[in-house]
Amino acid sequence: MAHSPPRSDRSPIQQLQMVADLLDTPALARLYAHILQHGPVTVSEMVDEIDIPQGTAYDYVQNLETAGLVEKTREQRPYEYDAESIALTLSTDGETQTITPALIAAVACRDENKDVDVYIERHGLDGLAVALEYAYEYVDGTVNHRIAARELDLSPLEAEIILQALEPVATEYADAVA
Amino acid sequence: MTTVYIADTGVFVRCGGPDKDKFQRLRRAVRQAGVSLRIPQRVYEELGGDPTADAYPSGNIPYPGGFEEGWIVVADELDYTNPLVSTVMDEARRFIANETDRDEDITEKTDTALVGLAAQVLDTGEADYVILLTTDKPAGRAAETLLPQHGFSDRIEFRYVSVEYLETITANEFR
Repeated sequence: MAHSPPRSDRSPIQQLQMVADLLDTPALARLYAHILQHGPVTVSEMVDEIDIPQGTAYDYVQNLETAGLVEKTREQRPYEYDAESIALTLSTDGETQTITPALIAAVACRDENKDVDVYIERHGLDGLAVALEYAYEYVDGTVNHRIAARELDLSPLEAEIILQALEPVATEYADAVA
Repeated sequence: MTTVYIADTGVFVRCGGPDKDKFQRLRRAVRQAGVSLRIPQRVYEELGGDPTADAYPSGNIPYPGGFEEGWIVVADELDYTNPLVSTVMDEARRFIANETDRDEDITEKTDTALVGLAAQVLDTGEADYVILLTTDKPAGRAAETLLPQHGFSDRIEFRYVSVEYLETITANEFR
């Protein structure tokens, strides 16, 4: 039986490039988030579940596999794939941000949830990552939109909109954070 | 028995979005039940005071129609000279600061307006029972915890307004 090479064989730069692509391509992010939540899955199961053309799905899976973010868990056809959780921490000029599967999942929903899309347009991916931290607290009941608004320098209405928009992701990934 | 329904900003944000199905469902339920939703003045200001929210699909809330039709009403000003109202709001401020692990200075009157309004309508005899519709869990819990300590046991209820709540709401929720 063939074995996938261990993840450590992948170059960090290659993985960084892939993560950058994930943040930039909502359909790719959707596919990765789906494998992570529901894997092991076959490509046709993915295509059934998420709105993405089959050819594109095969390309995406191959790219993710090459970068070591997904791997085959069944070596005969139909191949099944599972995903590795990522946590990539970047530091620039004293600012640190961690890219997590939940952040990828939040980016993944920007096609369907235009509130998330507008928020990213307005506040960038760093802004989204911070809002996601508040969304966990919002789900837990340890923050409300008014306090979030003051701390994030948003209007209360905008704060409530993004917190509600991120609520499903925060709920789904709450266990991963705990 | 008179029940007063108090609704928060999050209820109307949850109703937003391009289709507005949830807004229509809420409207139908409230109107069929023949009741109205009261919103604190500070909620009214939150809903109307932000042009940047217009860019968001969920920020485009058709709530002014609710005022015209009479099923959304802006509540009276909070009467801070009423000792119960000011006491409960101070307590709510501490409660919310504690729940959110924040310094008390960061919680403001807006955070406690729902609790203050609930106290006011119960204290003045305007309501026998208050239902708070909100997505503000700290404020909802503050109301449910504090008002019974002032003699209003079993007269206050906090309902978290989730997507599912609005997708299934009927007039029965208001009877």
